[in-house]
Amino acid sequence: MTREKLSGAEIVVEELKDEGVEVAFGIPGGALLDLYDVLYKEEAIRHILMRHEQCAAHAADGYARVLGKTGVCIATSGPGATNLVTGLANANMDSSPVVALTGQVPTSVIGTNAFQEASTFTITMPITKHNFLVKRTSDLPKIIHNAFYIANTGRKGVVLVDLPTDILAGVAEVDLHPKETFAGYKPNIKPNQVQIKRVVEILANAERPLILAGGGVISADAAVELRHLADFLGAPVVTTLMGKGAIPENHPFCLGMAGMHGQLYANRAINECDALLALGTRFSDRTTGWQLDQFAPDATIIHVDIDTAEINKNMQVDIPIVGDVKLALSGILKLLEKKREKKTGSEWEKRIKKMHEACDSCVEDISREGASVSDILIKEISKLLDDDAIVTTEVGQCQMFAAYYYMTKKPRTFISSGGLGTMGFGFPAAIGAKVAAPDKKVVDIAGDGSFLMTCQDMATCVENDIPVVVCIFDNRYLGMIRQFQELFFDKKYSQSGLGITPDFVKLAESFGCYAERVEKPEELKDALNNAFESGKPAVLDMIVGKEDKVLPMIPPGGSITRMIGTERCKHI
Amino acid sequence: MQTHIISLLVEDNPGVLTRMSGMFTMRGINITSLTVSPCEKEGLSRMTVAIEGSESELEMVRKQLSNLIEVVKVVDLKESEAIIRDLCLLKVHVKDPEARSEVMQLAESYGAKILDAALDSVTLELTEEPKKIDRFVDLMRHFGVKQLFRTGVTAIGIGAGVER
Repeated sequence: MTREKLSGAEIVVEELKDEGVEVAFGIPGGALLDLYDVLYKEEAIRHILMRHEQCAAHAADGYARVLGKTGVCIATSGPGATNLVTGLANANMDSSPVVALTGQVPTSVIGTNAFQEASTFTITMPITKHNFLVKRTSDLPKIIHNAFYIANTGRKGVVLVDLPTDILAGVAEVDLHPKETFAGYKPNIKPNQVQIKRVVEILANAERPLILAGGGVISADAAVELRHLADFLGAPVVTTLMGKGAIPENHPFCLGMAGMHGQLYANRAINECDALLALGTRFSDRTTGWQLDQFAPDATIIHVDIDTAEINKNMQVDIPIVGDVKLALSGILKLLEKKREKKTGSEWEKRIKKMHEACDSCVEDISREGASVSDILIKEISKLLDDDAIVTTEVGQCQMFAAYYYMTKKPRTFISSGGLGTMGFGFPAAIGAKVAAPDKKVVDIAGDGSFLMTCQDMATCVENDIPVVVCIFDNRYLGMIRQFQELFFDKKYSQSGLGITPDFVKLAESFGCYAERVEKPEELKDALNNAFESGKPAVLDMIVGKEDKVLPMIPPGGSITRMIGTERCKHI
Repeated sequence: MQTHIISLLVEDNPGVLTRMSGMFTMRGINITSLTVSPCEKEGLSRMTVAIEGSESELEMVRKQLSNLIEVVKVVDLKESEAIIRDLCLLKVHVKDPEARSEVMQLAESYGAKILDAALDSVTLELTEEPKKIDRFVDLMRHFGVKQLFRTGVTAIGIGAGVER
């Protein structure tokens, strides 16, 4: 610790550097002039000027998901902060570590409806893991340090620090880089050994074990342990949307994503298993369907999660383990290896092999009957991108096409808005991803509806040389809404048609992006090559069928055992 | 449905009450009563929250409360293992001397204090278990309750060590 006399803004920047912050996504404003004055001469932090605060939050979120490191976004008071809200709610829902810094009017006028005043502290309380309204300049070191500590430990999440202008401008003599934390924050990390023993007992004796991997596996960096356990047990792995990438999807034991828009055989496996090991997942209705008694009815359900509050919240489980997934998995493996030999050649394993082939052929075989242009395009993209490429998605049909068909091979390469389902997330998240991993290809799988919500940040990409590629599934509809109206609302397409505007190619070109229209799937390969070779941010406007549907699916309110549209699947 | 009393130690920060009540709203839980006061430890406040709900709802509330950074301790107080008190102030209408003496007699038998007496009203204070206060208030309604104030419950565990 070093005692120094500094302004609030200087303290903030010093603490950011101490936390290892290299990039911040933000937009300045009246209440943040002091902070931006310090950032002006600061070389250790690259500030990326966004064009909308929502995008700043999504970019920080995307950055965090790629690196596992806390993302930082900055917005001014009032509208700047309210614009952040969607992005913060999104990151927090998906347990992504983000620290948001917001400007605030001077403490002396808080509560007077001053110019650009909004009660950011109260507005963001329910959508953050924790937030602070700083009342004294001297409190800044402890608050900033703890903001990062809280954001990136335990169940990760968003921490917002609201910074009134007089706090930033004020000077205080402080000890920088304190290590002091809050008494009320003690994340549960170490799993209980007794529970681990119970789990090993169940898994060792299970005939048909199954692993359900959620986003927690990825955020705990437990992909290696997951694979070891799956191999050792001879247990198939199904994932949630957030868990995509926890295991390579071409791994012989991986059956892909389960749930509402999941693989038929991923859901079947849940139906058939006798022990279900759920890792870092909150059993969202998108994964379980809506009839919980039909979810893994014959299985002993084991739930490993770092958040105590997730245990028995959505799903009544038989054995809970509260703690870090990585530690729990290594604990389980260690005991299991002592207890018995690796299992091979079981009936269950043969069954999995067949199920895996069925899933695989469904994903691989482009010429399959009933395949739509959207199906073909997303499979092509999956083939054309290398294993390290990062795919982000918008929300809706494009997202579920990607979830279903895109073969994710590595953790942190499939970035999607799972919990909040935020249209407009994919593009700014791609910006964050590309900044985090400049050497990797970054592609946003977009819908025309979603892309229009945040497309202004093409300016950010061009100005800052962030060459992400946006592939728009352009059907001039809010496709998922249209699909539901077609299937469940007598084809009454209420407000789901988007008309004919804009011309995405011209729009992108006006920003200085590379752009091309893909009228037919066979044009995609060249177009994608051109996009990458241009070295510029690029937009591919891919024309898809209006009636393309994401199938099979569990109809809303339905059970995981009853998917519709399975005639498109290979049956075994 | 059952009443549960949760005793919390929270950091004495501005906004902590909003955070607490926000959590209940967010999770769809109804608070029956809430009291906040200083406690034996500096910088911390004690909150006593009474909620109505099932065992599983209580379980969820307890976990979600523990997750809040400013909550240092959560204790679920069982009715049988706690001393629970509520303070009630009430102004009772008395039309005639007969009613007045009856009100005063009843107050005495319940251990209520007479704080103020005017020509047409008596002001009483009763600190007791909530159920006993309910009964007392019901009785007083026969005479005419002009105003009723209750602080909400506060509770302490019996015996020496309560906060497990």
